[in-house]
Amino acid sequence: MILRTPPPRKRRADDSRAPESPGSDRRLVIYEDPVPESSHGPSEQMLCTYQCRQMVKAEFLESLNSAEKQVRDYQSRLEASNENFCKAEADRKKFRDQFFYAEQELAAVKGREKALQEQLLKEVNDSKGRFKKQIQSYSELEGKLQNEMNLRKNAESSAALAEEKASALEGKLSQFSESIEREKKRLQYELAQLKRESKLSVSRISADLERMECRANNAEKESELLKEQLEELKSQLNECLHQKSEAEKKLSSCTSQEVTTSMESDILVKHLQEELRNYGFEVREARKLKSSHENIELLKEKLLEEKGRRERAESELLKLPEIQLSMKKLEDELLSWKLMVKDIPGVSCSDDVPMKFAALQKEVIEGMMKLGEANARLKQMEVSLDAAEHAKQNAETEAASAKESSEVSKSEVKRIELMLGLVTEERDQLRNAINELKKQKNVEAGDETKNGTLLQEFELSLAKKENCIKELENNLCEQKEVNNRRFNEIKLLNEKLNNEARRIKSLEREGDRLRSEISLLESKLGHGDFSATNTKVLRMVNTLAVDNEAKQTIEALQTELQKAKEKLEAIEELKTQSADSGKLVDSYVAGKIVQFKEQIATLEKREERYKTVFADRISVFRRACCELFGYKIVMDDHQRPNGIPVTRFTLQSIYAQSDDEKLEFEYESGNTNILANAYTSQPEISQQVEIFIQKLNSIPAFTANLTVESFNKRTLC
Amino acid sequence: MASRTATKDIITLRGSAAIVSEFFGNLPFCSSPFLSFLYLGLIYVWVGKVILMGKKMFSILYNRGVYPEESFGKVKKYGLPMLLTQDEGVKSFIANLTAQLSEWLETGKLQRVVLVIMSKATNEVLERWNFSIETDGEVVENGVSREKSDKEIMREIQAIMRQIASSITYLPCIDEPCVFDVLAYTDTDVAVPFTWIESDPKLIANPQMVKLHSFDTKIHKVDTLVSYKNDEWDED
Repeated sequence: MILRTPPPRKRRADDSRAPESPGSDRRLVIYEDPVPESSHGPSEQMLCTYQCRQMVKAEFLESLNSAEKQVRDYQSRLEASNENFCKAEADRKKFRDQFFYAEQELAAVKGREKALQEQLLKEVNDSKGRFKKQIQSYSELEGKLQNEMNLRKNAESSAALAEEKASALEGKLSQFSESIEREKKRLQYELAQLKRESKLSVSRISADLERMECRANNAEKESELLKEQLEELKSQLNECLHQKSEAEKKLSSCTSQEVTTSMESDILVKHLQEELRNYGFEVREARKLKSSHENIELLKEKLLEEKGRRERAESELLKLPEIQLSMKKLEDELLSWKLMVKDIPGVSCSDDVPMKFAALQKEVIEGMMKLGEANARLKQMEVSLDAAEHAKQNAETEAASAKESSEVSKSEVKRIELMLGLVTEERDQLRNAINELKKQKNVEAGDETKNGTLLQEFELSLAKKENCIKELENNLCEQKEVNNRRFNEIKLLNEKLNNEARRIKSLEREGDRLRSEISLLESKLGHGDFSATNTKVLRMVNTLAVDNEAKQTIEALQTELQKAKEKLEAIEELKTQSADSGKLVDSYVAGKIVQFKEQIATLEKREERYKTVFADRISVFRRACCELFGYKIVMDDHQRPNGIPVTRFTLQSIYAQSDDEKLEFEYESGNTNILANAYTSQPEISQQVEIFIQKLNSIPAFTANLTVESFNKRTLC
Repeated sequence: MASRTATKDIITLRGSAAIVSEFFGNLPFCSSPFLSFLYLGLIYVWVGKVILMGKKMFSILYNRGVYPEESFGKVKKYGLPMLLTQDEGVKSFIANLTAQLSEWLETGKLQRVVLVIMSKATNEVLERWNFSIETDGEVVENGVSREKSDKEIMREIQAIMRQIASSITYLPCIDEPCVFDVLAYTDTDVAVPFTWIESDPKLIANPQMVKLHSFDTKIHKVDTLVSYKNDEWDED
């Protein structure tokens, strides 16, 4: 209700208040009529109240209009603010969605980062594990290497010991050999002395023999004379017997005729009988003489033998003290040998010495083989060690790169966390702004100007926040993209780098190897070397020299044939002069010529056959020797400057790893010597040459050892 | 020389083998210093007449005296004047040799031909002329042919002949009677004819080497290299 007559003060106060209250509060206050204060002046009061009421009404209407206008303004502003608020709400929602999206993306990024970190950690752990394994393997390899080194040292020490023993034994052997040579020399000297003495004795004996021979001749002559005498006597005896028989016949024929003459015949017979007896006696004496002579001769021979034996015995008796001395010396030496043999372990008698030497040689060979095997194993270990070091280096580089990438990712994570912090701050600010907006909403109706400025500020801040958020999002996206790109690029580059480095190294090695191979091959080509597995060298058998020789022989034979023809012609000329003798000579010469021609033809055929057979056989023999002994042998004849012919043998093992591995030997009148070349001057080979050829004087042992070593190298490789 | 087909420049295996074997056959007869002792003497004489006029060089021929000077005749081969021997023995030897080389070339089994000059007294190898042969395996296996003009092949052979002739300027002088021998490096599966035997490669210790030109028929490629013993004067 509006007062009809409001008190002036109150009006002023109300007037003063009235403009304030609508502007400030923008609220409509409805007055109620107060209780009338007094009844004095009712007419004035009635007029006044109507005018007042009219004034008040007019004022009220004006104020109402203005208020309505204000209300409408306020409503429009409210609507605008509501719209703005709605927009702001929508924006807020949008921003909130974006914020949530950003949060989700952040969470996803975080998750990806976590996953990356985990992956990196896994990779780092894997690389660590690999590294540890490699270190373990490295340490194991080192341990094995140490063991192998120790084994090698032991083998070397045992080989050195065996070599020392072998050298000591060789020294002893040389001493023995020297002593044996001295003994030989002494014995030879003694033998020479004995020979001289025997020659002297032989000369003496021959002189005696001559004497005896003379005596024997004389005795023979005497015996012959005696024999002749005996034969004469025999013949006389026979004559006498014959006479006797005739006389007896005569007697028998004459007994009947004359008895008187019997006395005379008796006397004759008696005489004849006495003569017979004498002859028989002489014959017996001659036989006795002969037998005695034979006995004498036998006795003489026996005497001679006995004399010879005596002289021999005397000479040997003279030699006895010397022989006893030599016996003593030999016994002393034998004792010393036996003591030395006792010192040698595993040897009980002299027969065991060569076996012991062979066993020691085998030990040395086995030691060398073990040494070779240990060297091969050492080389393998070194190769594996190099490979392990390479792998270790690679793992270290990978670990370093992984560390770098993890640091990079950590820095990225930190940066993103910072960004996240910023974004959360922004979000909080936005939330605060939203709360303020809400608060402002509640106060909005009473204070429009404040709302406007607040709205503007809010809009400004919102715009700023939007820009910030957009910038942040853009930055985040860019950063992510950049990070991903960089990460991928770095990975690719690293891989490419490693691959290229490896390729470059391998290419460099390949290039060096090829260059060295090319230079080697060129030098070998120029030198004339070849691979025996793929190539063989042939030359013609019938060289010009051989052809020349054959030509010369043929020419010689032709000249001989011509001479024979000339002779034939001469003989034919002679033939015309003497027919008979000519015929014979002609036929003889023709036969001879035919024979010679046939001989020439057969000899030529034989020569050809021998050549072909020899060529075949020699190639078969060479191939067989190569397969049986493991060496390809090429024989070549040379002549030294002094004209001595020398045969040179070049041996190449079938297990040789290169064509330079050749042995050259020179054979001259039963002696074979090894020639020095690049292959034999290598330390391993020269050592073997020293041991087997120079000290032990055995080329087969050297070649066999070399074959076994080459075979082992081949099988190990 | 090459087997002629309708197109002039096509080279077959047989034609290429004929070119190469003829080249080897003419080599010993070309005016170059890597020949037999008499031939060495002859070329020295020839050069002596033209350039050196040395009695010592001339005496080599007379000292050897197996093939007299009049046994050589001048012919033109590969566009160059060459001296070919008329000695029937040497001719037959070279003919047999080239026939066998041609056979091996056609089967692709010949890897190298080496001409060795040795001292007659000591059998020491003084010079070694090495001709390495690369054969196109596809031609041997499948019998295909290649294209190359005869002129070009002749040009290449001429270049080699000229180089061989000029090699006298740096090869050491040989003052003693020499003999020559021909070695053939073949595959191991080649059947050895009865007129051939296996031999050692007759190498020179620490040789000096000079690489010459090569010629190529597109089927056979021949590289030439001469290695010789270091001259004592040069070492000093």
